[in-house]
Amino acid sequence: MKRNIYIVLILLVGTILFFLLTRKNNNHQNIPLRFVSLAWQEGTIATNKSIVNEWNAAHPDIQVEYIQGTWNSAHDYLITAFETGDVPDIFHYESSVIIDYAMRGYLTDLSPYISSEMKNDILDVAWATVTRPNGEVDGIPFLIESLVVLYNKSLFKKEGIIPPTIEYPWTWDDLQSAARKMTKDTNGDGVIDQYGAGLGLRNSANIIMNTSISFGGSFFKKEGNHFVVKVNDEEKKLLQTIVDMLYKDKSVSPASIGETGAGMIPGLFSGRYAMLVGIGSWGRQQLVENAPKEFQWGVMPPIKAKTQTYGASTQTLSIPKKSKRAKEAMMFIDFMLSSKNTARLALNDWMIPARISCLSMPEFKDKIGGWDITCSAVSTLSIGSWLGAPGYVEWKSRVANPVLQELFAGRMSIDDAARRIEHESNIVLSRYKKRGEVW
Amino acid sequence: MKNSISFSKIAIHGLIILFIIFLLFPLLWVVASSLKSTQEIYSGAPTILPQHISFDHYLSVINGQQIFRSMWNSIVVGVVSTIIVILIAVPSAYAMVRYKSKVNNAILGWILVSQIFPVILVMIPLYVLLRYIGLTDSLTGLTLIYVVWSLPFVLWIMHGYVKSIPIELEEAAVLDGASRSQVIFKVLMPLLLPAIGASALFAFISAWNEFFFALVLMKSPTLATLQVELARYTGMEGQARTGPLAAASVIATIPSILLFIFMRKWLTKGLISGALKG
Repeated sequence: MKRNIYIVLILLVGTILFFLLTRKNNNHQNIPLRFVSLAWQEGTIATNKSIVNEWNAAHPDIQVEYIQGTWNSAHDYLITAFETGDVPDIFHYESSVIIDYAMRGYLTDLSPYISSEMKNDILDVAWATVTRPNGEVDGIPFLIESLVVLYNKSLFKKEGIIPPTIEYPWTWDDLQSAARKMTKDTNGDGVIDQYGAGLGLRNSANIIMNTSISFGGSFFKKEGNHFVVKVNDEEKKLLQTIVDMLYKDKSVSPASIGETGAGMIPGLFSGRYAMLVGIGSWGRQQLVENAPKEFQWGVMPPIKAKTQTYGASTQTLSIPKKSKRAKEAMMFIDFMLSSKNTARLALNDWMIPARISCLSMPEFKDKIGGWDITCSAVSTLSIGSWLGAPGYVEWKSRVANPVLQELFAGRMSIDDAARRIEHESNIVLSRYKKRGEVW
Repeated sequence: MKNSISFSKIAIHGLIILFIIFLLFPLLWVVASSLKSTQEIYSGAPTILPQHISFDHYLSVINGQQIFRSMWNSIVVGVVSTIIVILIAVPSAYAMVRYKSKVNNAILGWILVSQIFPVILVMIPLYVLLRYIGLTDSLTGLTLIYVVWSLPFVLWIMHGYVKSIPIELEEAAVLDGASRSQVIFKVLMPLLLPAIGASALFAFISAWNEFFFALVLMKSPTLATLQVELARYTGMEGQARTGPLAAASVIATIPSILLFIFMRKWLTKGLISGALKG
């Protein structure tokens, strides 16, 4: 009896001792600033770590701890942090989401901390994505996400199609006509095996919203202090163009309906699609790193509808309101996003740097990798009217993505989709209206 | 008659083989992807088996991320939480079955109700509580969470097993002069071992696979668990570093597979006895 009791006691005491010995000592004299980065590509992680190491070497009194977060779980991670007060001092995210955080009062207004050098060197369109009408700045934009069209140079050559240039851009009619021409049954078995275009339409709200600006649309209209969603002729024209390419011309692969832009890339390599339309500029990285050696590709300038203006969003660094060391955190951001470091980050992530001084660097004018065309599109970028619409993030996932998915899957007409989007959107937005959140 | 029996046997075996292929295919795909070059993974004409075997992704995982440290963290919290859960659940279940009390049914009811709460609902209060006692960002705190999370279900399983053991066995041992601890350790324990094995496996796998608590509670990079580490291979808009993710997943699966191999006898016995006697 006694022996068994001793065994149990020893096990319990051993377990408790194990915990006490392995317990982390939190009583640091000099707690480092915590920086949550969402970098995920090998090169970008290495660049982030290298910048943090450079900072730590130069600032022994203000150390920074690099924490790698993940895009898929960042929202839950940050919301829990904001609500419990145990926040990172600096975090990386994107403008469309931090707008929501700012409206909930989670973020520090960075405007008093921004140096004039930084203020003047970051593009106005990038500042516009993070600046509230009252002048409050909720994040420092450093990378611009824009949509591009990637194409298979060899297929274009084979079909005798001359790709557009910055001076002579294509219209959507040109794109449709080229896509029709390149859609073929190459082996004569009665099944199309080469499509003119592929689009990642699985979560298409982003592409549709940003492209709608070039058609003169916007979906979101401001009525007084609040937003309503209207699907007018301009927005319907864009939807009609895609539906026609899918079902009338059959020049867009039906695989597009259930795929993301990234998921369509192998099809571009294999010659299944001649063009990938509306993919983020980061898609070029996949081509550089993963394409077969003989694969030749190019980037098209923005396709013209009424204009060549497309919506853009930015990746940002922000400081939570509950961080007790906002001043030191901003010093680190200033270092992290210097012109030189922004260029390093942009080159590794294959996105447009938000700093004007970076755009004049030779790396961003290089033809290889399509940097010249991608970065030249900066002048055509704009912000959508939905910026600052309370509930936009929920609207995208609850209304826009599912309804557009059904539309592109051929389960409803454009008019029905428009009616559903308007009806369901205004239910979601009215909830936010009641909360009184204003950008 | 003979023909029909052999035909049905062939059909049954055929179905079992198909089912096994169905179950094994994802694993085969992950292993094959981990051995393909990045170009081969992204080629437009995918093949099941790699055309050229490459260990680059394994090297990248081993050199780049903290896979082994995170695996060690997962093993520590998994093993310790499992030991604590079993140490608490076995005597508690025994007491609940053998010592009749009016609160027993209420406890069992509460165990069931506690399983209803979604993680997201309890996350913030739990976090605040752990921070109050200084256990956020520590493996101790995470282990305690896993104990609390698995304990109700394990207790429920053990309660069923203990109840299925006839009290006459214990009475006979007492008549033969055995003390209470001898009854527990020499009569009851051997009968409970399969159930303990199955429950321990459940508790360990729950802790091993858990993501959200580990993500939110562990702030220091060195304390990340395996599931959090694996998520770091995924990126925005459905992108992922497929090759390294597959290699890391294969490495991550090894401890679970080993555990299943060592415990499969217990697990099978435990599951069967639970099914018959619950």
